Amino acid sequence: MKWNSIRTKVLAAMAACLIVGVTGTLLLLRYSFARNSQALATESVHGAQRLFGILEARETSKMVAVTEALATNPEVGAALAARDRSRLLSLTAPLYLQLKAEGITNWMFHTAEPDMSVFLRLHNPAKFGDQLNRFMDKEVSRTHATVAGNELAKAGFAVRTIRPVYDSAGHVTGYIEFGEEIGRFIHEMKTQTGDDYGLLLNKKFIDQKFWADTSASLHRRDDWNDHPTFVVADSTSASDRIIQFDGDLSAVGGNGEVLERFDSGDSVFVRGLFPIYDTSHNTVGAMFVVRDISGVYVSMRNTQRTLVALSVIGLVFGCGLVMLMLTRLVFSRLQHIIRVATRVVGGDFETEIQVETDDEIGQFEQLFDQFRRVFVNVLSEMSELQEREKV
Amino acid sequence: MGVLYNLRNSIEEKIKADGLDAAEIRGKIGLRTGRLMALISPSTPDDAASIAKFRQAAKEVLNLSL
Repeated sequence: MKWNSIRTKVLAAMAACLIVGVTGTLLLLRYSFARNSQALATESVHGAQRLFGILEARETSKMVAVTEALATNPEVGAALAARDRSRLLSLTAPLYLQLKAEGITNWMFHTAEPDMSVFLRLHNPAKFGDQLNRFMDKEVSRTHATVAGNELAKAGFAVRTIRPVYDSAGHVTGYIEFGEEIGRFIHEMKTQTGDDYGLLLNKKFIDQKFWADTSASLHRRDDWNDHPTFVVADSTSASDRIIQFDGDLSAVGGNGEVLERFDSGDSVFVRGLFPIYDTSHNTVGAMFVVRDISGVYVSMRNTQRTLVALSVIGLVFGCGLVMLMLTRLVFSRLQHIIRVATRVVGGDFETEIQVETDDEIGQFEQLFDQFRRVFVNVLSEMSELQEREKV
Repeated sequence: MGVLYNLRNSIEEKIKADGLDAAEIRGKIGLRTGRLMALISPSTPDDAASIAKFRQAAKEVLNLSL
């Protein structure tokens, strides 16, 4: 191979195009893959957030409906107004068992102001008389209207509703509260989506003693000292990977964040989180979501490999086609001209150039053949002159 | 005088001896030397540059040391 030949230069240019083309394709696919992964992760977070919102709204409306029915029940109202705890318990205990099966974990009656203490806990009847002093207690006392939202209490972090109960004279005789632990939500979410979830609460909003009591009442290990800034309310995964977080939970944006894509064994996961608010709109924690994207990942990888292979094949085929055309249309015809020129100089005046096309090389072939004829004529005349001189 | 002509004869003998394509070999040597071999006769005047070119061409084309 001659390094200064046009063929070599064209081949080198095509090899450079091939490398640039394949590298460009790879970079484009890599970028596309990263964007798709990010979009998938973002969708996982948003989907989980939407699902959480739907479950929260569904359970809230269910609890509000039950609260309304109970608040208008004259027997229940009379027992609460009379502060007859045993009567109230006997009236409501059968219903509590049914509601518990539906997911209700907390049911409380509170006395009216000014003490507003817990009068009866259906989920723990032996414990009463304490004041909770939560935001939602103050809010329902201020507005005397139904208040709903997430609130941390001794029985855990739960979505709750609380509403006043009125007597026939329109005076508030007490309050009814229902709650459903959010930890239950994440297990339902896992059942629906197959993703893993973890609920983390910011320690800033929790009293250590309060958390220890909550853990004891839920028969859960007190994990207060496991992490510096948060506690794990619940998780659907046995792995700690889901809850690894070094940032500030209260700084998580309203639409959530994608944290990472990671591999575990043969599987690929994306992980993100979205904020959880309490009734007073504090970001009290965050829900972590981990989705297995192995199927999509493998599909994208296969597409990537196929596209790279097709690009290489296409570029190699294109290079081959260009070289074939250059050889047929240019190089072999130039070679023929060189051969004819050499033979003419060597005394073979019969070899001609067959001009078959009128392209650029064809025009040159025609010109060269005309030149060849002139050269042959001149040479013949010179030979005759030499012969005459000899004679 | 006559060196160029002798060189021409030596080349012609080599072509004949090896059964080579005479037109092609003469053409290659002619293009390298800038002289038409057919026009070299006993009376062709010698010049050092042409002689050197012929020897080099014979070496390159025929691997013939003259």
